[in-house]
Amino acid sequence: MIEAIQAMASVVTDPYLLFLIFATTVLGVIIGVLPGLGATTGAALLLPFTLTMEPVHAITVLATIYVSATFAGSITAILINTPGTSAAAATTFDGYPLAQRGEAGRALGIAVVSSTIGGIFSVLVLCIAAPMLARVAYEFRPPEYFALTLFGLSMLASISAGGTVRNLIGGCFGVWLATIGAEPTTGIERFMFGNYELYEGLAFVPVFIGLFAISELLIQSDRINQVVDTIGMKAVKLPTREDYKRIWKTVARSCGIGTFIGILPAEGATVASMIGYSEARRWSKHKEEFGKGSIEGIAGAEAANNAATGGAMVPTMVLGIPGSGTTAVILVGLMVHGLRPGPYLFTEQVGTVYQIFGAMLIANLMFLFMGLYAAKLFARISLVPLQLLWPIVFALAVIGAYALSSSLLDVWIVLIFGVVGFFARRNGFAVAPIAVGLILGEMVETNFQNSLKMFDGEWWQIPMQPLAAMFLIFAFLGLFGSPILAWIRNKRK
Amino acid sequence: MKIFAIPGLVSAFSLIVIWAALQLDLSPEMIVGDSMQPRVFPIFLMIINLVLAAFLTIQYRNNPPKKAKPDTYHTWCTMLLFVVFYLLTIYLDMFIGIAVVMFAMCLLWGERRILVAGAVALVTPITVFFLFDLVLRVRFPRGLLTNWYYG
Repeated sequence: MIEAIQAMASVVTDPYLLFLIFATTVLGVIIGVLPGLGATTGAALLLPFTLTMEPVHAITVLATIYVSATFAGSITAILINTPGTSAAAATTFDGYPLAQRGEAGRALGIAVVSSTIGGIFSVLVLCIAAPMLARVAYEFRPPEYFALTLFGLSMLASISAGGTVRNLIGGCFGVWLATIGAEPTTGIERFMFGNYELYEGLAFVPVFIGLFAISELLIQSDRINQVVDTIGMKAVKLPTREDYKRIWKTVARSCGIGTFIGILPAEGATVASMIGYSEARRWSKHKEEFGKGSIEGIAGAEAANNAATGGAMVPTMVLGIPGSGTTAVILVGLMVHGLRPGPYLFTEQVGTVYQIFGAMLIANLMFLFMGLYAAKLFARISLVPLQLLWPIVFALAVIGAYALSSSLLDVWIVLIFGVVGFFARRNGFAVAPIAVGLILGEMVETNFQNSLKMFDGEWWQIPMQPLAAMFLIFAFLGLFGSPILAWIRNKRK
Repeated sequence: MKIFAIPGLVSAFSLIVIWAALQLDLSPEMIVGDSMQPRVFPIFLMIINLVLAAFLTIQYRNNPPKKAKPDTYHTWCTMLLFVVFYLLTIYLDMFIGIAVVMFAMCLLWGERRILVAGAVALVTPITVFFLFDLVLRVRFPRGLLTNWYYG
């Protein structure tokens, strides 16, 4: 415990780390306000730049980008009715109408304060919940891990975009991608088609850069003639005492909702903000204001989406199961830097883990000040012409992909998965399930094989293990919970 | 007919993967032991995908998907630029490929100031090259420019 507190405190006394957090918070806010460039794309593009950094610095960069870009999406959501990130989509419902009424500064003030409270709350939960969960996870054997991974995959069904069936198809495709390369136990080559650079499987980072950055580039190519209306703003205002009185319950509720949803495997800030918003409306005494500039609506969505960031780091670091698209990139970052995610991270690398948590806490405070004093400036960045921005993203994507393992194959993978991701998204398939499936694919196969070996080939022993059975029930509910509930409701009617 | 297009594509892909999986070598029993052959897992996955494709067809029949907007000229040309990038990288140099594609993309996407497009296309790859070469010590693939630089 003392070691953990010391590690968190050491962030404040390390000038280099503080500078890094400041610089990446600025970068994260810029990434967040640029439409199309969200936290996931930003983290995927930046990952190659962290290669020579110390592990703690590298993960700090990625985690800071995550929290600051998630917040920054609200700036453009409020000022130009274009959410910088999908997590800020719910903020447009009330943020933009409030800004249209000439209260843009107040809207941004509510958003930044709610985001900071949500972010700090979730990091504190992360500090307390992660080691507790790690203690439970020590008991996990292959059957429990197999069932847990299935649970993670089942949650893909309800990931934000797409629909249940399409998300599951994407997830299956992602898991299949993980089977490319030599099979770990037998060494049999699968789907390599004579290309020995694929012997160790598809590298995660080029696939992610392709799926998130290049597919977005192709989508943006369709939007180059769109004109956005900008709203003038004098200054960002801190919420008044009256505002605080009205939003504190909403913020508290959204903190809980966001953190809980973040902890669920494969769920992320977008789902959290939507639920945070709808719950804010459900419990509000001023329902008629929603959609017309309700400050509770802004607070509900913003507190929830930033609370989800800390929550999503819990399964990522403790179980190696990403809580969202961005944490999938952070998970790859942990692996690239030799930090194996899992419960042992909390006994073998306590200092590193808590330094990362400390950095996330500081990042939340930094974007509070940036949001209050520089939101107007950042909003201007969102008006950078697309025709100059996206060619730069292309250059960063291909060079970054090459730099990871000095392989041109990785560059081609970026382009191929960019086109695949583009056509998938155009036909209503989300790309996040493919990315999460790719990460969980090897885990699910290897743990199933190890479980079979453990039980002498008797697979039915897996659901006989209490913890595994619990996760399998959760997986079943994740898949069929909504249709069962709908059926029960219909029956009652 | 269109409601079958996407499920049909998913099914065709799944069947091809199943066929490819069936061509995989079998591992000796003493290595596999109580576990499963390497082909089993991908086949199982694709069977799930076939079932999901059937569900998707039913879903599309009950609730037809919105007709997607046709891809614009800019999108197809941007994809074509990826092919140009591939050819330039293979036959000339990766950085020539990046600069040419960036310049063409700027103009294609509506940048009218040729000097600005040229500056972006030159400054970005040069900056990123030196950042990776000098700070991150990454060696880039051999080509016209890199041969000249590396010697």
